[in-house]
Parts: sequence; structure tokens; C-alpha cells
Amino acid sequence: MAGLAILAVLTAEHLQIGGPSLSRGWENLLIILSEAFPPDFSVLTNRASWANPACNFETDFMCSPAVIGLIQTLEIAFLATLFGALISLPLATMAAHNLSPLWLSTMTRNLLAGLRVLPSLIWALLFVIVVGIGPLAGVLAMTLYTIGYLGKLQYEALEGVGKHPLEAARAMGLSRPVIARYFAIPEASNSLISQILFMFEYNVRHGSVVGLVGAGGIGWYMQYYIAPFKLYDRVLALLIVLYFTVVVIDFISLRIRRRFIESEEIRKPRWRDVFLPQR
Amino acid sequence: MSESKSIPAPSQSEDSSPILTLSGVSIGFPGEPHLLTGIDFEAHAGEVIGLVGVSGIGKTTLLRTLAGLLPHTAGEVEIFGFDDIRSAPRGSIGYIPQRLGLVHHQTVGYNVLMGALPKATRLQTLLSLPSSEMREATRSAIVAVDLEEKMLDPISQLSGGQQRRVAVARSLVQKPRLLLADECLGELDMATSEVVAKQLLHLAREHGTCVILVDHSPVRLKVLCDRVVELRQGTIREDEPDTMRLPMV
Repeated sequence: MAGLAILAVLTAEHLQIGGPSLSRGWENLLIILSEAFPPDFSVLTNRASWANPACNFETDFMCSPAVIGLIQTLEIAFLATLFGALISLPLATMAAHNLSPLWLSTMTRNLLAGLRVLPSLIWALLFVIVVGIGPLAGVLAMTLYTIGYLGKLQYEALEGVGKHPLEAARAMGLSRPVIARYFAIPEASNSLISQILFMFEYNVRHGSVVGLVGAGGIGWYMQYYIAPFKLYDRVLALLIVLYFTVVVIDFISLRIRRRFIESEEIRKPRWRDVFLPQR
Repeated sequence: MSESKSIPAPSQSEDSSPILTLSGVSIGFPGEPHLLTGIDFEAHAGEVIGLVGVSGIGKTTLLRTLAGLLPHTAGEVEIFGFDDIRSAPRGSIGYIPQRLGLVHHQTVGYNVLMGALPKATRLQTLLSLPSSEMREATRSAIVAVDLEEKMLDPISQLSGGQQRRVAVARSLVQKPRLLLADECLGELDMATSEVVAKQLLHLAREHGTCVILVDHSPVRLKVLCDRVVELRQGTIREDEPDTMRLPMV
């Protein structure tokens, strides 16, 4: 125990994260908190014509930074999940050991692992460089990450399909793609749908992060308030709006997923299931 | 069952050459001693053959080998004139596994229609557009196993007996030349057992399908089958099987 403590102190010293940095950080945190409270909810009431002059809704609320940013985040998450799922499903059938020859599944698994190596934030940075600032970079970054992540979940679900339907199909002399399409995917459909909904949920949360590097969505507005103006009260308001949106999406997703999750005891989800571990 | 037996067996003189010949075949798993050795066996079109043997003797392994799912380790297999099971024409072999091999999240209609997949063209398969003949064959097969009221029900909502009837209906649509059925009569009530047995016999008598049926009831097999073979002491025996003399449980 003492050895571990000494090692921790030495490591911290080597990283130069000792007392002065911590005390400076503490002071900064207090400044940020004092400036962030109370949150400024004008981000929900003021028209953000500086960001989106084309917004022609009559109510300021619909053209506010929070609503525009949220809608953009949801749109990015939706498109990324849709494109990601469409591309990842064929790749998952190629990666599943029970549906593909070893050479093909090994190759596809490596491709999917490669896509997962970089977090969506780094993909977003790369695409901001390639296609410029805006939602397109966000959609492309999140799509790539979705393919890698969802593809892994999907090939694991496909490998979990019982061998009997596949053997009955193989005995008929059907080809591997036909077996995948007509036997394996329908048999795993509940898990696959549940995973896509989970991925949408995940993309909404991460859609705000990729915005910080200029890839669109509510994160872009956060970054806008932080970087030049240090308007932490508005950032906090945006975070609160995002938090409630994610909670609502979690709950809706949970309700839909419950319909597809195979369980002996399917019960109606409650709000507390969003916050507490489920028994 | 006695009613089913009344369907006459086709005359084998029409074509006496076997559709399946096993000569000195050994079966087993890599790195393990052979499960079955020196199997010499012939099966003809239209025959219904019962396969018995104690649990773990290798009945399912033999069936999976004949279905082309496992390679044999020695000997020669000739099927429909081909010397490799995997060269058999598409759809010529039907296999009903012990657990039936149905797609549980899909309907009865979907599962039965899957029997028509081997006959579907590439375009039909690609677009999921079965021909009117395929749809009609599916409907007839479902009617034949008395499940027309369950046509749109998912498999997971059916009883075990109803699921077995779906698996048989899928084979009725497929009309394979060789049907391998692993205990598809097991755990069925008398009436359901009769429906399933009648349809298997129908396939054999009307379409010339050779049916190899694994079952644990020697009495039932003796009533239903043209001949019964037994797996005993690591090989196949065609004489009066030992298990025939066991009391029916």
C-alpha cells in the first residue's frame, strides 16, 4: 500500500501535476462556477440570428441557440445512426464466425476494430479538416464510429444465434449471404433493433461532444460561448437542456427496447430506470 | 398411425439404384476416436428408414454428416450420383434438426416459405419476392399440417408440437430428395404425431423423398418405416435392432 502511494506521488511529480497546478485549477474552477451560476436561460428565449439567419420561425424559442443546436444534434445522431446501421449490418454478417469463412471474418473484424480505435471526437477533428466546420463533419465522424461500434455489437449478436436454423439452411444448400439474410438476421432481429436504438442514444450524447471541435450541433454553440466570450452561465444552461433531452431520449429508447429485449419478465419501464441500475 | 401406413410404398423396381450409398464410412470429430466406423448403407428413393440407437451413439452426428454439415473421416459416400455431399444439387437435402431450426421471431408463413428458397431465382431472393407457386405451395403445406389459423403467428408463440408441424411443412414446400429428420416425432401427442407422420409418408410416397427418421420409439418406427436400422457398437446394423426388444417407455 505504501509502495503504491509512493509510486503515485512519484508519477504525479513526473507529470508535474503537483500542488501549484492543482491550486491554480481550484481557483479557476471557483471562477467558472461563480460565473456559471445562475444559468442563463436566455439561450432558450433569444433569437440566434447571428448563428442561423435563415431561421424563419416566428417564435424566438424555435430560433434560439439551444433549440437550433439540439435539433442539429438530434439530426446528426439520426443520420449517423441510420447510415452507420445500414453499413455495419452487412459488415457484421461478414465478421460473424458462424456466417463467414475465417479469412473474411478476420479481415472484417480488423476493419471494424480499426474504426473503433479513434474516438468520435478525433474522427470529427479529421473531418472538420477535410470537409470544413459544420454538421457534415459531425455526420461523417459519427457514422464511422457507429460502423465500428455497432458492427461489433451486431456480429456478436449474430454469433449468438442458435446453430439449428443455420444448419437447416446449410443442408438446403443455401449460400452464406442468403442464410445471413433470411435466417440469421431475422433470428437476431430483436437484439439488432435494440442495439440500433442504444446507438442512437449514444450518438445524441456524443453529438454534443463532436460539436466542440466544430462538427455542428449543440456542442458548437457551447464552444462558441466558451472560447471567445467565456459565457459559462449560458454554457451551463445549454448543458441542462442537453441533460433533460438525453434523459427523455433514454426513457423513450428504454421503452422501445423493452419491446424487443427477450426476457421472461418484461415489465413497463419507469423513469427511475433511466437513473438507477435495473434489477 | 395405422391410417398413415395405408399409403402404399412406391415400387422400387421403377428405379432400383440407391440415391445414397455409404461404403466403409467412418464418422467422428477431429482429434477424437471415431464415433462410427465401417458404415455400409444404402437408401432408395421413396423409402422411409428408421434410425435407432441409444443416446450418444452418434445418430445426430450421422444425420449431420449426411446433411453435409460434418465431413466423414474415411470411406466413400455417393449421393444422387455425386461423390461429395456438398456437390448435391441445391435443395435436394432437407434437414429437420432436433431443435427444428426455425426462425423464432418470424411467422409460421415465413418459416414454411423458407422451404422454397432453394428453388428461388437470384432476383426473387434479392427482392424477397416469392412466386405465386411458392406462395400457393406454402399455403397448402400449412393447411396440410393443420396450422392455417396460425399462419401469421410468430413461432415463439406456438407449442412444441405446432413448431414441429411447421418444420415438417417447410420440408413439404422444399420437397427434398433426401429428408433427414432428427426426432421430429418425439414428445408429441398421439394426434399431432399422426399428422406429422402422415406428412412425412406423403413426401416419401408422392414425391419419392427418401426419409431417414431418428426416433427413440422402436414401436413407432416399426409401424411407420419400411425398414429400421440401428446404430450399435460403433456401426450400423440392419438386422432386427436390439432396441426393438426393449419395452416402449
